[in-house]
Amino acid sequence: MAFREINAKMIEATVVPGRRLFSRRGAMLAYRGEVSFTPNLTSGPGGVMSVLGRRIAGEAAPLMTVEGSGTVYFGHGGHHVHVVRLTGDTLYVEADRLLAFEDTLEQGTVFLGAQGGVRGLVRGQATGQGLFTTTLTGHGTVAVMAHGGVFEVPVRPQRPVHVDPQAYVAHHGDVRNRLSTAVGWRELVGRGSGEAFQLELSGTGVVLVQASEEKL
Amino acid sequence: MATFRLHSGKVLAVDLTGDAVTARNGSMVAYDGRMTFKRLTGGGEGLRGVVTRRLTGEQMTVMEVRGEGTCWFADRASEINLVRLTGDTLYVEADSLLAADAGLRTGTTFTGLRGASQGNGLFTTTVRGHGQAAILSDGPAVVLRVAPHAPLVVDPGAYVAHQGSLRQSFQSGATFRTLIGEGGGEAVQIRFEGDGLVYVQPSERTTVAGDV
Repeated sequence: MAFREINAKMIEATVVPGRRLFSRRGAMLAYRGEVSFTPNLTSGPGGVMSVLGRRIAGEAAPLMTVEGSGTVYFGHGGHHVHVVRLTGDTLYVEADRLLAFEDTLEQGTVFLGAQGGVRGLVRGQATGQGLFTTTLTGHGTVAVMAHGGVFEVPVRPQRPVHVDPQAYVAHHGDVRNRLSTAVGWRELVGRGSGEAFQLELSGTGVVLVQASEEKL
Repeated sequence: MATFRLHSGKVLAVDLTGDAVTARNGSMVAYDGRMTFKRLTGGGEGLRGVVTRRLTGEQMTVMEVRGEGTCWFADRASEINLVRLTGDTLYVEADSLLAADAGLRTGTTFTGLRGASQGNGLFTTTVRGHGQAAILSDGPAVVLRVAPHAPLVVDPGAYVAHQGSLRQSFQSGATFRTLIGEGGGEAVQIRFEGDGLVYVQPSERTTVAGDV
């Protein structure tokens, strides 16, 4: 495992020759050994098209490549860090929540409109994700940032999980999501319970939820 | 009855089996199973609550969560503390109450000068009955026991809540040094006597007396 949680807000990454890491630019706190940090002009792996796609999509979080041999400590802005291990599935996360990931993972950008058309777009706006989101696919580990601690909620068939859009962090696995509304007459007269919009996740996988309703 | 569990200190998980809990409006972060959310008027005390809470400034917007499954609550990554009530009364600020078993009764009570010294106003919220409640604190709170012959003195800014049969009184640590601006910053303290528990957070709110 490339990433190890040292405490709630800091991770330790082991860098070995021949294996690269990508991390958010400026997130290095300390390192030991011979490690080099080079800014990625292309903001992550992928060809020119994916670069262009991310630029347009606003999913272009500045990244850097970490190479060499040694250990690197990462952390950013005092946010809580959570390490996710992917085994062939896809993690959907906002680019600005990514702290670091291994090069064995393939980065991509998806248009939310592609998952459910207009409803997908509405969902993106409601959750503050915008029109695009970042995906990471393959085998490897990812470090994700959140405000407050992160907890994982398993999503099982016949047992969908509803998440407050503001507390949603990321999800992985074979999960479909849609925005469900519980808008009743109470909301219309301004006496709502504050839970009118919920993100409904169904299928098989895991959703990551933060202990706060604040954005990063 | 709903069971309250703490998840990493900052997330409260409540298992519901068709029963209900009251929680601060909008504090749900996730749930599985089937849940309905309904806002309660006047902090769940009906019309009387609307009036008294408006008058006392102990405004509390709460919702009733009812259903089957697990519901997770959190509020701005604050620490959460579980309180079990067995017929006694919990005194807590409306802002610090996250969730309570629907079987518990809430109300408002006059606190006098103590409330004013905490910068919280003259009234506070009471929770009484049998069941569990969850209170918020800035940093993990410590629970300090007050026994007869073992009174406890607390900084008003670090006080979160208390339960049991406790008498409170004001204690001044002010000396002539405080008057000339060389005080230790602990001029006002609350003294608890009797038998009960006091919840103290590792952080101090800005209070009137905090600077002297």
